[in-house]
Parts: sequence; C-alpha cells; structure tokens
Amino acid sequence: MAHTIIFQPDGARAQCADGDTLLTVSGGAGIELETPCGGAGNCGKCLVRVENQAMSAITEPERESLSTEEIAMGFRLACQCRAHGDMTVFIPETSRQSRQIIVSDGRAVSGRLKPGLACLILKLDKPSLNDPRDDWQRLSEALAARDFYNIKIDYTALRQLPGALRAGAWTISVVLWQAREIIAVFPGEKEKIYGAAIDIGTTTLAGFLGDLTAGEIVAQAAAANSQVRFGDDVISRVSHCMMEDDGLERLNRAIIGDVNQLLERMRAKAGVDKGDVLDMTVVFNTVMHHIFLGIRPDWLGRAPFTAAVRGPLNIKARDVGLALATGAYLHCLPIEAGFVGADNVAVLLTQRAAIDDEQTTLVIDIGTNGEINLIGNGRVLAASCATGPAFEGAQIKHGMRAAPGAIEHLTIDPEQFAVTLATIGRENGVKARGICGSGIIDAVAELRKVGLLLADGRFNKEIDCPRLRLDEKGKYEFVLVWATESATGHDIALTQKDIRAIQLAKAALYAGARLLLRRMKRETIDRVILAGAFGSYIRVESALAIGLFPDCPVEQVEVVGNAAGVGARIALFDVDMRREAARLAAMAEFVETATDPDFQNAFASAMYFPPWPEAGAARGIL
Amino acid sequence: MGNEAIFQKLKTAIEEMDSDMAAEGAREAVAAGIDPLTAINEGLSLGMKTMSDLFDEGEMFVPQLVVAAQAFDAAVAILKEAIPEEDKDKANRGKVLIHTVQGDIHDIGKNIVKTMLSASGFEVFDLGRDVPVEEVVTQAKKLKVDIIAGSALMTTTMPSQRDIVSLLKEEGIRDQFKCMFGGAPVSPEWVEKIGADAYAETASEAVTKAKELMAQLGR
Repeated sequence: MAHTIIFQPDGARAQCADGDTLLTVSGGAGIELETPCGGAGNCGKCLVRVENQAMSAITEPERESLSTEEIAMGFRLACQCRAHGDMTVFIPETSRQSRQIIVSDGRAVSGRLKPGLACLILKLDKPSLNDPRDDWQRLSEALAARDFYNIKIDYTALRQLPGALRAGAWTISVVLWQAREIIAVFPGEKEKIYGAAIDIGTTTLAGFLGDLTAGEIVAQAAAANSQVRFGDDVISRVSHCMMEDDGLERLNRAIIGDVNQLLERMRAKAGVDKGDVLDMTVVFNTVMHHIFLGIRPDWLGRAPFTAAVRGPLNIKARDVGLALATGAYLHCLPIEAGFVGADNVAVLLTQRAAIDDEQTTLVIDIGTNGEINLIGNGRVLAASCATGPAFEGAQIKHGMRAAPGAIEHLTIDPEQFAVTLATIGRENGVKARGICGSGIIDAVAELRKVGLLLADGRFNKEIDCPRLRLDEKGKYEFVLVWATESATGHDIALTQKDIRAIQLAKAALYAGARLLLRRMKRETIDRVILAGAFGSYIRVESALAIGLFPDCPVEQVEVVGNAAGVGARIALFDVDMRREAARLAAMAEFVETATDPDFQNAFASAMYFPPWPEAGAARGIL
Repeated sequence: MGNEAIFQKLKTAIEEMDSDMAAEGAREAVAAGIDPLTAINEGLSLGMKTMSDLFDEGEMFVPQLVVAAQAFDAAVAILKEAIPEEDKDKANRGKVLIHTVQGDIHDIGKNIVKTMLSASGFEVFDLGRDVPVEEVVTQAKKLKVDIIAGSALMTTTMPSQRDIVSLLKEEGIRDQFKCMFGGAPVSPEWVEKIGADAYAETASEAVTKAKELMAQLGR
C-alpha cells in the first residue's frame, strides 16, 4: 500500500511504500537531511515534525535524543520514523544538509552553504475588522506556523514592517538571523541576500561579497589599511593609542572608513544594495580587532598582553558604524591568545582536518609578527614570535615593501657571482630601487648556496668576488645591483647588518616552532602551511635554505595564500564554522616563548643557517 | 699549573665559548688560591673583551655572545663562592641595577649587557624582566647602586623608562643615580627627551657609557 508524504515548508510530495523511513522518503523527494551517524538513530540531527499519527511508534534511540516536550510536539527522527499512512512532515532548517560550495578562488577549498541567515517568504492574511491582529502579531503567528518561536524583531526592521507588508500585498520576506531575530523585512518575494567577509590586516584589507542564497562570491576587493600612516606594525598602533588623546578614535575612524569603502566598491561591482548586505564575518589580529571595535588596545602592548575579550562577538554593524543593512549583525571570529588573533583562527578553520591527524603541521602566517600554530594529535599550540619588520623590508639598508622597483626574487651564479633579478614592474621597464622580503630571503639563500655566506652569518672573505666589498664604514656588503643598473643611480647592496637582522627575525620564528614541537613532544614537522601574502611570494626552497622554520621535505610545504580570508568566507557561508572557530580558539594552548627558560638557547642556536651540502661542500665549507 | 696558565685557560674558555672549560679553570683558580677578582679580571674578562671586539667587528653575533656569556657566568658563579664577604664590595668599578622594564619580557639583550658589565668589573644586580617601576626605584635605593640600567624591546614599554626618571624626580633623589637605557626601539633622542643620562646601542657601548657615567659621578 502506497502512502503520500508532503514535506513542508518545501511543499515537496513523495510516494512511499508502507514502513519506509522518513529519511528514505525525503531523499527520494530531493530533500537531503543531516545524517552524520548514517541513519543509526544516535546523532539526533535528522529531526522532523510530523502532523498525524499514521506512523511507527517512538523508538528507543528517539527517547534518548528527544525531550518529552519535543515528543509531545510531534518531533521525530526521520531515520527512525516509518510511514504507515499519508503524512505531512515539517523539516526544520537545522535538519537540512547544506550544499557543498567552493569558497576560494583558484584553490579548491570546499565549504558548506549553511548561512546564519534564512530568508523566509510568508503569505499573511490581510487584516479585517474580524481579524484585527496587529502586524507584528500576524507575522509572529505566521512564523510560529513555520516552527519559529520566540522570535524577536530588530527595531529598525520593525519600523519597516507595516509598509513592507502592504507594499507586498501581505507577502513578505523576512530575514531571520540565527533563527532568533528578524533583522530585515522586504515586501514580496526576496530572491537574493548577501553577506560580506573581511580580513583586516595591519597593512592591507581583503573583502569578499557573497551571495548567501547561491553560496558564491560575487565581488572581491582589496585596499590598503590607512592606519599605516600612524605606524607600520601593531605595536606602533598601540603606542599611538597610548600616547595620543584621540589616538584610538582616529585609528578606529580610519579602519571603519576603509571597510566601508571596501564594501561600497564591492557592492558597486556586483550591483548590490546596501540594505541587501545582511551578514558579515571579520577576521583580524588582536590589535586590529580592538581598534576596529573601538576598544582600548593599551594593555595588549605590555605584559601580560591581556585582551579585553577573546570570545566570538555578534555586534550590530550599525553600532560600529558599518554601512550594511541597518539591522545586520557582524560576527567577529574569536582571538586565540595574546597577539594570536582571529585571523589565525580563520587559517585554522581552513586546516582543521589536520588537527586530529597524527602528523604534525606547522601553520605560519608571516607578517610583522610571526604567529604560528603547531597542530596535530588533537592539539593546537600557538605562539607569537617577535620577528620584527625585517621580512617586510624594514631595518634593511635597501629594504622596501613589495612595490614597483622592489627586487622580489634573485639568483646568484655560482661561478661568476652574477646576480639575476626579478624586479616588480620589470615588464614595464621598471629598474630595481630596493629589495623586499621575498627578495631578501632569496638573496641570503643564494649567498649561502654559492658559499659567500657562512653558516654563522658572516661573509666569506676567502672568496674573491668584486661584489663582496667594504662599505663606507668599513663593513662588508654584497652588491646586488650596480649603480648603472639601478633606478636610484646608487649600488643596491645587502650589508652584514642586514644579514644580522634577517638572522634575528628567522631565529625568532624557528625557535618558536622548536619550542612548540617540544611542547607537543615531537622531534620533526611533517607539513608546513605558509599563509599570508608574504608566504605566497617567498620561494619555499629559499625559506628552507635559510632555516626560516625547522626542516621539512620541500614537497610538504604548502603555500596557501590568504587563508585568513578563506576562513572568513567559510564562516560567512557556514554558521556552524563560527562555532567550530570558537572551539578551535578555546582549545588553542598558548605558549609564551620569550619567558620559556629554553628560549634563549633555542633562539641563539636558531640564528645559524642550515648547512648547505652541495655548494658549501664543494668549496670546503659548511 | 701556574697562575698565568690558569688566566689563559679562563680567557680561552670564553673565546671558545666552552662552559665546561670555564668552570674547570675557575675551580683550578680557587684551588691554586688565586684571588677570585684577579681571576675574573685577568682571565674571563679578557675573553669577554675579545668576544665583544669581534662582535663590534661583525665577526661574532648574538649566538656566540649568548654562549660565551653562559661560560662566563658559569665560571663567575664558582669564583664568587670564594670571595670573602668583606671583599665583596672591594675593587669594583661601580654598582649597576639592571632589568627589563615593566610590561616587557624580552631579556636576551639585557642578559648579555649584564655579563659584559660584570666582565668589566661592575657589580651588577639583575632584577629580571617585567620589573615594576616602583620596585626598580626601591631596590636602587636599598642596594645603593650608582647606575640604573633598563631595557625596553617594544615602543609600548618604553614609557616605563620615562616613569623611572619621573619617580626618581618625584622622590627628590634623581641626582643620586645615573640612568642608562637601551633596547631595539630606544633611541638617543628618546633617552634625551625623558631626561635620562645615557643611551647604549650595543653591549660593548653599554660598558663604555657606564664607565663614562662613573667618571661623571667622580667615583
């Protein structure tokens, strides 16, 4: 005997044989339910509500996962409940399986589409003298009929409600935030809603505008962080807030202005109205987090580096002055600890599969501060390494940011010591003006390779090479570009002092990684993930040659680009990932490297460059 | 083994960054009845001087200094045991209180400066890291030091150096102490601005400046 099952709110119909489970039937109707346990009845995820009694009795697994109230209200588990007649089955949004989507461009990082917002289209009864319920009550009751109880409404949405109901002839689209609060109402049937994911870096911002209905990025944009004029690194920003009376206010206004401009550019590109951008996730380092939220960062700059708040935050976007829909929330991902911020948590989201792995993975996001995570064996260790700004070209005689005229890569010929350059803007005839981080790392690695640099960081004066010479102060330097070839008309050189600055920076990172390894009781790193813009440009072989991090097979080093931005997008499209981020941040064990009794020795020994067997051995030096 | 041979061994131990050899030399010096202060000055300190000169020439770097300092400290610990109480104040160039300032925890540079000052005949009291401003001043008074030396490694902790000078002024004892500051973000301009007495960029410059400050004090 066949039965007819109607699934709501989809309105899908399916025929089934007597005794089929609702899980089987729903699958036949094209509705995918959450079944992490595979239909064994023990996860409780495939919760549905049934309207009549034409079905099998409550099973033991259902008694375990459902409360008495739920059972009284007609809730069942789809995998347990068998149809014995025609039925109407309501499927809550939370029980639906979300679609797989691609959240990053280029790299296939898959995520799920399970936004924190639901856009419900409701057809309400028109009021009459016999039905004088107020607009909100009418809406609340319509929501209750769809199984949404105790829903609040944002004040600004409430103000729109009467007009929207009438403009849409009593068909209204309501945007429900986390099944708790209506944050926007639209007349008629709203087809698309959008959200933004923003990664706020100390130097640059990356933004993504996502279609929350289709689960795709419709626009992206990048911008410079205009706080840069108040200092290059986070510590100088904190200093500015400490020293100037209106310092925090100025920095806050600068960053909010930047984000609003970024949002506006993306909306213009995709043709999206401000009022349709209804959700936002933000990731940043701890200092940017505080300044963005207008919270004093002063105490982050001094031991014990205490944050005002570490956990995830949902804040009305209008309260921080963001140009989103008026009722929209923004979600700040949680901070791990100290300087290890939400951007690191976002990177971890993209690498979460590696946490329970038996392999040990080192996740490095090199910027002005080197934040590192060592993950694996069910643990997340975190440390912040004071690398200083040398990798960004600061404190280097001819150092500069990655901009036109910067040497980004180079090789040195082992016989004649001729230098082959790759300069940013070379295709437009731009000559070298200085050297940026990735170029500096190449230069040091190549100098090691050709034997001009010894393992302890001294130049090898035994080698006769015209490029290796004494500078005006009588210190050794290696000329990368002769004046005739440079844009400045001066020689561009790497000095002994520059090499020392790089040694200090790389030793901070290396020693930090070593201390984390020891804390995890591991000897070696199996995999390295290089995140961040800088990580995308450095040559992995050069990084290994200078010992930027403990040795690892070169094919196990993965460059992942702006993983923090990807993490922000994952959290935008999948609300469960916000909870996952909170879990990861909470499980992170922070290791304060500077006060570790072994740090001094680890740091000192990390200053040496690894041996370079090929070239070094050929010249009799290691 | 003659005294000269022991001095040479102590010096070589530092130059070769060998803690075991340094400790062995120190024990031999004690056994031979050599005055501990002489053993430091004629042996260990000469070794540290070599290291410091090589550092200034760019031939040595932080790792070598750290390890050499450890060898130095190992030997000094043994020699100090042998110094009679009444002699402990004798024959030092001056007393220095050294610390990493309040709010800061980076102390590798400070540790090297400390060793270099000791090697140059200063009596150094190390208060460690993240030392509250009040504690610095209290201890400076109690230990009757000549110089207060403080290191700050972040721009956010540099104000602690200013606060030390301010507190000394507040208590009306500014003229009793010389203040010498350093650390990566610290500059001569900053030190002048806050009214301190000396800035040192490197450990060997700290020694030079400390000697100059002592000369100014006429001690």
